[in-house]
Amino acid sequence: MQTGQEFTDGNGKGAVSEYLTFTLGKEEYGIDILKVQEIRGYDVVTHIANAPEFIKGVINLRGVIVPIVDMRIKFKVGEPTYNEFTVVIIMNVLGRVIGMVVDGVSDVVALTYEQIKPAPEMGAAMDTDYITGLGTLNDQMLILVDIEKLMSSEEMQVMDQAN
Amino acid sequence: MTETGRNNNIDLNQFNQVFFEECAEHLAEMEQILVSLGDVGPDEEQLNAIFRAAHSIKGGAGIFGFQDMTVVTHVLESLLDRIRNHEIPFSAAMVDLFLEAGDVISMQLAGHRDGAEVRQEAIDQIRVRLQQVIDSGAVVASVDVCNLDKPITENLGVHPESEVPATACQCFEMEFRPDPDIFKRGVRLESLFGELEELGELTVTAVLPAPPEFNEFDPETCACCWYLTLITTASEADIRDIFEFVAEEDQLKVQAIPVNAASGKAPDTAVTEGNCTSQSTCQADSEIVDTAIGRRAYDKNELAPGAFGRRTNEGESSIRVGVSKVDQLINQVGELVITQLMLAQTAGSLDPVVYENLHRSLLQLERNTRDLQQSVMSIRLVPISIVFSRFPRMVRELAAKLGKQVELKTIGDSTELDKGLIEKITDPLTHLVRNCMDHALEAPAARNAAGKDPVGTITLRASQVGGRIVIDVIDDGAGLNRTKILAKAAERGIPASDAMSDEEVWQLIFAPGFSTADAVTDISGRGVGMDVVLRNVQSMSGKVNIMSETGKGTRVTISLPLTLAILDGLSVAVGDEKFIIPLNSIIESLQPTAASMKSINGKNVVHVRGDYIPIIPLYELFNMKARVTDPEKGILVLIDVDGEKAAVLVDALLDEHQVVIKSIETNYRKVDGTAGATILGDGRVALILDVNSLLEMRKLQATDDRSN
Repeated sequence: MQTGQEFTDGNGKGAVSEYLTFTLGKEEYGIDILKVQEIRGYDVVTHIANAPEFIKGVINLRGVIVPIVDMRIKFKVGEPTYNEFTVVIIMNVLGRVIGMVVDGVSDVVALTYEQIKPAPEMGAAMDTDYITGLGTLNDQMLILVDIEKLMSSEEMQVMDQAN
Repeated sequence: MTETGRNNNIDLNQFNQVFFEECAEHLAEMEQILVSLGDVGPDEEQLNAIFRAAHSIKGGAGIFGFQDMTVVTHVLESLLDRIRNHEIPFSAAMVDLFLEAGDVISMQLAGHRDGAEVRQEAIDQIRVRLQQVIDSGAVVASVDVCNLDKPITENLGVHPESEVPATACQCFEMEFRPDPDIFKRGVRLESLFGELEELGELTVTAVLPAPPEFNEFDPETCACCWYLTLITTASEADIRDIFEFVAEEDQLKVQAIPVNAASGKAPDTAVTEGNCTSQSTCQADSEIVDTAIGRRAYDKNELAPGAFGRRTNEGESSIRVGVSKVDQLINQVGELVITQLMLAQTAGSLDPVVYENLHRSLLQLERNTRDLQQSVMSIRLVPISIVFSRFPRMVRELAAKLGKQVELKTIGDSTELDKGLIEKITDPLTHLVRNCMDHALEAPAARNAAGKDPVGTITLRASQVGGRIVIDVIDDGAGLNRTKILAKAAERGIPASDAMSDEEVWQLIFAPGFSTADAVTDISGRGVGMDVVLRNVQSMSGKVNIMSETGKGTRVTISLPLTLAILDGLSVAVGDEKFIIPLNSIIESLQPTAASMKSINGKNVVHVRGDYIPIIPLYELFNMKARVTDPEKGILVLIDVDGEKAAVLVDALLDEHQVVIKSIETNYRKVDGTAGATILGDGRVALILDVNSLLEMRKLQATDDRSN
């Protein structure tokens, strides 16, 4: 896997970015691979008092207290079940460490700019504000998410709005 | 020097930071000694210490290229040196002068560090005044810089030599035989010679005295020696300064040959009259000869205590470490403790007979980790004398300003508390001491009239009481004036009545903007004091208490937790979750009987020893499922928040631990009702309850209920 967000491949084609793809219900999403710290299984969480339902709680990640957000509840897609296959993507967003529960992690894909199309005004469970575009890969559609914008948004309630 | 500094594109910032810190420390040390002098002159040791401080600041400033700072320190150092050599008698007036010089250096330091404003005229003035002492041997009160007909020039290479009057040029012949490994030490001779050249006219000749055999020749060792001739107005000490870190005593020989060609003056006019002070640091001619080969004059007596470069009190040596590194260490040890607890839990299920050795080793491990944790925690603890030491000077100056006679006593200087707290406690304490000086203590005449000692006493006392640090600020002044406070409160519309107890009345002075002072002075009286004190102390989870007796004095007591990083807590269970309640806010826990349960407006209260205490069901406050909702079946934990009591209803009490406080806000936002989180022995996260905000949440909920 190449490091660096953008690079020109050996054939001299357009710049490409790499995305980690995951599923929420039946939809396939992608986030910038460089925002991903690690992927781990779902562990017991400590619930936070008076937090919205989609914030599952906090976990101890090697001494660091990390909040866990369940995207399935937030965007009302898929079934929020928790078993040994439930996956948490630990991300580094705006200097914070946040965990995101998804249905499954699929792949790491590289997309050129030509493969990314702007998103139409409707379609995904997520607000289009947080979608940077739609990627096409082997007839499959990827919804590319601006995870920083999403996590710092007021509706996620993950960060104090003063920050 | 600055040139080479700029050319190397190394990030000097981190080094600068070290210099700033050290410089501040030296200044503080200097000030402390000066203030402690009183009317008696300093002894040899103290003079040496002050001198060392000034010298270190100058050296550091020179290295890091803060030339403006070297200017003042240089004159200061020269003067101190004269005093040390008994050339100028020490007088009490010098203390103030030195203190002012210290302030000027502080100002310059702040200018470099924080970009604070630097008043050039203050620098010039102090320099001139110091210089006058050197010249005349007595302190001149104050001078107007503008009236000086010519600027004082310094021989530090700060000012180009063209400004220096062409008097007293001297020719120095130097022989420099460096260590063979000088290149390996990374010394750059070209910059060294460059510096010399800035002082005057330099000729350099390199000589290879004993050329080695070619096959023995090592290009990395230095076989050369150099003969240098320098025609300059600078003194020998300045030249030796340049070689300071390069040449040992015996490697550099300096010979002064006075030249009269350049100036046309007699060769022996080393010290010139008038405004030119460029030679002032230079010793008398005879001394130059004495020390021409050797170190600076004041280093002659190397074995004397406090000789340059030696610290007499080397017993407490220390290293400087970034706080973030210490915090990282504390974190890692915290992790280790958790791992050890997990091991212990796992081993607990094993047969103690079969696994006897394992159990023994684990016990050993537990002891070791606990010791380790304690040692690591103690790194962050620093003595409170760091804060206390700044008050003698403040009191001295304020006393002079206010015309009062004040004695400051400090007790318990060695009491240790967390570094973070030390930084935050300084401002509140300063406010309190100022208040004592301005309001509480009476003028000597009034004290005499009241039959008291005309000298007022302010006592700062620190002590450790259990897990808390208690700091008292005690004065023997007039005490708080009850009628005046009540009148002022009424005037400002603060609810108050004559029926209030003394304690309640004293609490009124914590209201924002409250001041009973008749006139606003520049010391206090604007009423921005006590509320700030209270807020600052509360932000450190501390408490402020006032005791006062009219005519006898006032005592303000600040009580602080020992450290912000760890906390003694009681873990309790509510539903599937565990919470930590800080032990210092718990009075007791009890299982209520049906008879003791009462209700007011549908809200439960519990009757404990005559008090009706409101019950806070944690599950209700936090919207969670609990196993117990009936207070009679659960446990009530009685908490005390600034005298207000409440009973928290939980399912069960679990254990008492020392927990490491971690912030939730690092990765999440503030959670109401909690003061942070910690990691328990099983690796899970538990929230630490903030009893203060629990009560507030409770009240908020109650008002919401009513309005619905």
